[in-house]
Amino acid sequence: MPKDSGIGASSKRREDVRFLTGTGNYTDDINLNGQAYVHFLRSDVAHGRLNKVDTSVAAEMPGVVRIFTGADFEGVGGLPCGWQVTDKHGNPMQEPAHPVLAQGKVRHVGDPIAAVVAETAAQARNAAEAIELDIEELPAVIDMKEAVKEGATKVHDDLESNLCYDWGFVEENKAAVDEAFEKAAHVTTLELVNQRLVANPMEPRVAVGDYNRATGDSTLYTTSQNPHVIRLLMGAFVLGIPEHKLRVVAPDVGGGFGSKIFHYAEEAFCTFAAKALARPVKWTSSRSEAFISDAHGRDHVTKIELALDADNNFTALRTDTYANMGAYLSTFAPSVPTWLHGTLMAGNYKTPLIYVNVKAVFTNTVAVDAYRGAGRPEATFQLERVIDKAARELGVDPVALRRQNFITEFPYATPVAVEYDTGDYNATMDKLLEMVDRDGFEARAAESAKSGKLRGFGVNTYIEACGIAPSALVGQLGARAGLYESATVRVNATGGLVVMTGSHSHGQGHETAFPQVVADMIGISEDMVEVVHGDTANTPMGMGTYGSRSLAVGGSAIVRATEKIINKAKKIAAHLMEASEGDIELKDGQFTVAGTDKSVAWGDVTLAAYVPHNYPLEEIEPGLEETAFYDPANFTYPAGAYACEVEVDPDTGKVTICSFAAADDFGNVVNPMIVEGQVHGGLAQGIGQALLEGAVYDDNGQLLSASYMDYAMPRADDLPSFQVDHSCATPCTHNPLGVKGCGEAGAIGSPPAVVNAVVDALQRGGHNVTHIDMPLSPGRVWQAMNG
Amino acid sequence: MNYHSPSSFEEASAIAAGASGTTRFLAGGTDVLVQLRADIVTPDDLIDIKHIPGVKEISRTEDGGWRIGVAVAGAEMTECADLCADWPGVVEGMDLIGSTQVQGRATLVGNLCNGSPAADSVPGMIAAGCTVTVTGPEGSREVAVEDIPTGPGRTVLAKGELITGVTIPARGEHGGDAYLRFIPRTEMDIAVVGCAVNLRLDGDTITEARVSLGAVAPKALLVEEAANAIIGTTLDDAALDALAAAASAACNPIDDKRGTIEFRTHVAGVLAKRAAKIAYARAKGESA
Repeated sequence: MPKDSGIGASSKRREDVRFLTGTGNYTDDINLNGQAYVHFLRSDVAHGRLNKVDTSVAAEMPGVVRIFTGADFEGVGGLPCGWQVTDKHGNPMQEPAHPVLAQGKVRHVGDPIAAVVAETAAQARNAAEAIELDIEELPAVIDMKEAVKEGATKVHDDLESNLCYDWGFVEENKAAVDEAFEKAAHVTTLELVNQRLVANPMEPRVAVGDYNRATGDSTLYTTSQNPHVIRLLMGAFVLGIPEHKLRVVAPDVGGGFGSKIFHYAEEAFCTFAAKALARPVKWTSSRSEAFISDAHGRDHVTKIELALDADNNFTALRTDTYANMGAYLSTFAPSVPTWLHGTLMAGNYKTPLIYVNVKAVFTNTVAVDAYRGAGRPEATFQLERVIDKAARELGVDPVALRRQNFITEFPYATPVAVEYDTGDYNATMDKLLEMVDRDGFEARAAESAKSGKLRGFGVNTYIEACGIAPSALVGQLGARAGLYESATVRVNATGGLVVMTGSHSHGQGHETAFPQVVADMIGISEDMVEVVHGDTANTPMGMGTYGSRSLAVGGSAIVRATEKIINKAKKIAAHLMEASEGDIELKDGQFTVAGTDKSVAWGDVTLAAYVPHNYPLEEIEPGLEETAFYDPANFTYPAGAYACEVEVDPDTGKVTICSFAAADDFGNVVNPMIVEGQVHGGLAQGIGQALLEGAVYDDNGQLLSASYMDYAMPRADDLPSFQVDHSCATPCTHNPLGVKGCGEAGAIGSPPAVVNAVVDALQRGGHNVTHIDMPLSPGRVWQAMNG
Repeated sequence: MNYHSPSSFEEASAIAAGASGTTRFLAGGTDVLVQLRADIVTPDDLIDIKHIPGVKEISRTEDGGWRIGVAVAGAEMTECADLCADWPGVVEGMDLIGSTQVQGRATLVGNLCNGSPAADSVPGMIAAGCTVTVTGPEGSREVAVEDIPTGPGRTVLAKGELITGVTIPARGEHGGDAYLRFIPRTEMDIAVVGCAVNLRLDGDTITEARVSLGAVAPKALLVEEAANAIIGTTLDDAALDALAAAASAACNPIDDKRGTIEFRTHVAGVLAKRAAKIAYARAKGESA
C-alpha cells in the first residue's frame, strides 16, 4: 500500500505550481534599480593573437557606460581550477591562466574579448560591433591526437605542450595488467568516440552583479547549482572579496545538468563591473552565446581492451583515452576523465586487473567539464560496448557473459580504488528481463521483418559513484574543496519548520522531497516544512547540487540536524511532563512517556522553546534551531540494468526506439514519483546522446552545430514510453537514509543499451557491423551497413 | 528603414522598383523578421504586402484549380478540406515547415522566394505543376514554380518584381500526389532529401507523372527521367527500381554534417519510391 505522506510517498512536487504558472523567480526576473546591461564581444576565430582592441569609437556610441577589455583585469585573478590531477610521473598537471577577458590571445570561438556596459542591452550590442579588432589568426588546434604531436601549435604559449596531464591508474598495476593480456585466451578490442555534447538547459545563463556603496557589500545573482562554491572561488581567487562582504544568490534555476556548477567569467565580470561603476550590471546569455560559452561535456576518444580466460572470465581491462579539456581548464574539468571515470572502470564486474590511461589535451574549443554523469557515462559506455562485442566474438549470450562476471559479494573493493558497499546485480538483471519479455523478442522481430525493418535487442548494466564525496579522500585525489553538505533546521514557535540547505534545487524537487524526510521523522504534515536554498546569506556553507549527491549528502545533513532538534525537543517534553528524558517517545507529532498516558504535542514543545516560562533553562538554551554538517564515509553506488529494443529501417538507416526499460537500485526511495521523473529525464538525455546530439567543430575551430537548427535535442516524439522500476533496492549502508542517488543514472546507463541494440539489429540483418560511433544518425547507420 | 504598406501589387512593385538600397517584401515574416532581428539583413525598404486585398484568400479557379494568396499561412491551407482532398502532397509539404507557431505565419511564396534548395513546399508545387504570377514594372506573367529559384538564396525575380499568387492546376480524375522528406528527426529540421510525386492513372496504369526532388542540388529539381520511369507502368517493382535509379542519378548534393553525398543520393531513390507508392494509392482513392 503506497504511503500518502512522508518517506516513500509520491507527494506532488510543490515547486511545480510556480514553475507551471509563470510565477517562478529566475535570475533574469531580477531587475535592480539603475541596472546597466553588458554585452560580451566574443572571438569569432578559434585561435589568434590580439594585436589591437580599439574601443575609442565604440565608447562614443549612444548609451555606452564603459567598455572593459583584458587590460582592465590585469591586476585581477584568473578563473581558478578546483581540482589538481597528478600525472603518472607524479608531476602536477599543466595549469594555464584563465583570464576573465582575453589577454594577448583568443583561444576558442566565443572567448570573451571585451565587455560593453550600456544603458540598454541593444545599445551594448550595437557598440560591441563598433569595437575595432586586429586579430592575427593562428592555426587552430582541434584534433586531440594532432594536438599532442611534437611541434604542434600550442594553445598556451607558456605551457610546455598541449598535454594537460598523462594519467595512469593504477600505475603500479600496469605491468600485471599487461602480463594478464599476454596470457589471455581471448582479447576484445574496441576503439570509440564518446562525442562532445552541449548541455542546453532550458534557462540560459544569467548574471546580475550589484554593489552597495553604503556597506561595501557585493551581491551576485547567478544561474548556479552551487552558490557557496561560486562565492568561495570568485571571492577568494578572482576578485579578492572576503565571504562576509560577498553574497551569491542562485534563485530558481531552470536546469543545469552540470553546466551551471562552474564559475564563469561572466559572473566575475558582472560583480567586478558593478563595483567599478557603482551600479548593477546584468548579463543574459542568448541561446547562440550559450553554445559557445557554456562548458561542454564528454569528448573522449578511447581504445579499450578486455582480456578473458578460456572460461570467459574477465581477467584484465586496459583503456587508453584522450580527453578534451578545451582551451582552458573549467572548474572541475581535470577530475572528470580521471577520478570520476577511471574509478568506475570495474563496472559491475569482478575484473581483477585494470589499468586506465588518460591524456587530457588542450584544444582551441570551448572548455569541457562535468555533464550529467560526468566521467561515469564515458566509463559505462566503453565497458558495456566492449563486453557486448566480446560476447558476439565468443558466440555467447551477452546477458550470460555479464552474469558470469558480476560482483556478487559485498562490500567489494575494486582494483580501481573504490569499495562498493551494497548491490545485487543479478536482481536488477532478473527484474529487467521480466520487464522486457525477452522470450517474445523473436516474434516481435518477425513482425518487424514483415514491414522490412530490422529489430534488435540491447542490454547493459551500469554502476556509478554518487553522493560525492568523502572530503579527506577527495583531498588526497586533488580536490581543492571539501564535499560535505550542510543543513540548518529552524523550528518556529508555532511548530512549523524551515530547512536551510546547502544543496541547490534546479529541477530535482528538493522543496518537496526534503520536507518528506523531516515530516516523517517528527510525524507532522509535510506542509509544515519549508525549504530555503540558493542564497549564501541565509543558508549554511554548502557545496551544492551535482553528482546525484543532494539526498545522499544534503539529505543526511538534514537528518542529522533534525535528530538534534528531536533530541532537544525530547528534553523540553520531559520537563513539561515531569518525566525522564530517556522515557520520552515521539510519534505522529506527539511526545509521550513510555508506559503512561501522558503526552504533549509537538506544538506545545516548540512554543515552550520560544516562550520559556516553564523550561529547563539551567540545562538547555531556549529556542529550537540546529545545524549539522555531514561528510559522507564513502560514495554511494547506484547500479542497474537497462534494455532497449530498436527497429532499423535498412533503406534509410533510421533508428526507432520501440521500448526502453530501466531496472535501477537506488537504495531507499523518498519520493518514487520524483525518482521516476529523474530517470525519465536521464534516459531522454542518454538517448539524445545515442541518437541525436553531437557538437561538431570544423578544422578551423568553428562550431558547426551552434544552434538548434544543427544540434538535435531529443524531444518527446523521439522517445518511447519508458518502463522504469526501482524495486530491487539494497540500501546504502553508510548514510542515515540508505539512499544512493538517482539523478544521473538514466544518462549513464542508456547510451550503450541503444548502441548495443542497433548493432544487434544490423547483425541479425546480416550486416557485419561491430560498432557505430554516436550519434547513430540515419546517415551513419546506413554508411555502416553499406561499408 | 522605411516601412511601406501598399494597397496593390502594382504599388508594391513601383516602391520596389524605385528603391535604391536593400529591399524586402514582408508577408509571413518567418524569414525576413528573423534575419532582421539577428542583424543578418536590415532592409532599407520593407514592403508589407499583407494588406493588399485578397492576399489571404484561398479560392477556386474557373477550371477547377486553386489560387493561393501570397499571405495565406500554412495552417490555413491545412484547414481547407477541399484543398487537402485535391492536393494532399502540396499541403503536406507546406505543413512540414516549422513549428505550430511558424505555421500560423509562413507562406508558400515566402518559402519559394527564400530560395533554399531544401524548401519543403517547393517540390510539391513543382510536381503538381503549379505556376506563380510575377508582377513587375513591365506587367504580369505566369512562371512555372521550377523556374523561379536559380540557386541557393537566388531567384529569377528582377528588381521591382514580386510574386502575387500561386495557381495550382485542376486535380482532375484519378490523380494523386505526395511529398516526403527525410531528416534526422521527425520535424523542425532542414531536409536531407525531399521528394514529391504527382501522377494520374488510367485503370492501374500511370499515364502522367511529375517527380520533383529537393535538397539534393542547388535548387529543387523536376526530374523527367524519374517520371518517365513510371509512366506506362503499374508501379511494379521494376518501375519502382527504375524510378529510384533515375531519382538518385539526378542528384547533385553537397556533403555536410547532415548527410554525405552518397547517403543523400541513395535516400533520394528510397523516398521517390515511397512517395510514388503513396501518390499511387491516393490516385486509386485508397487512403495512404
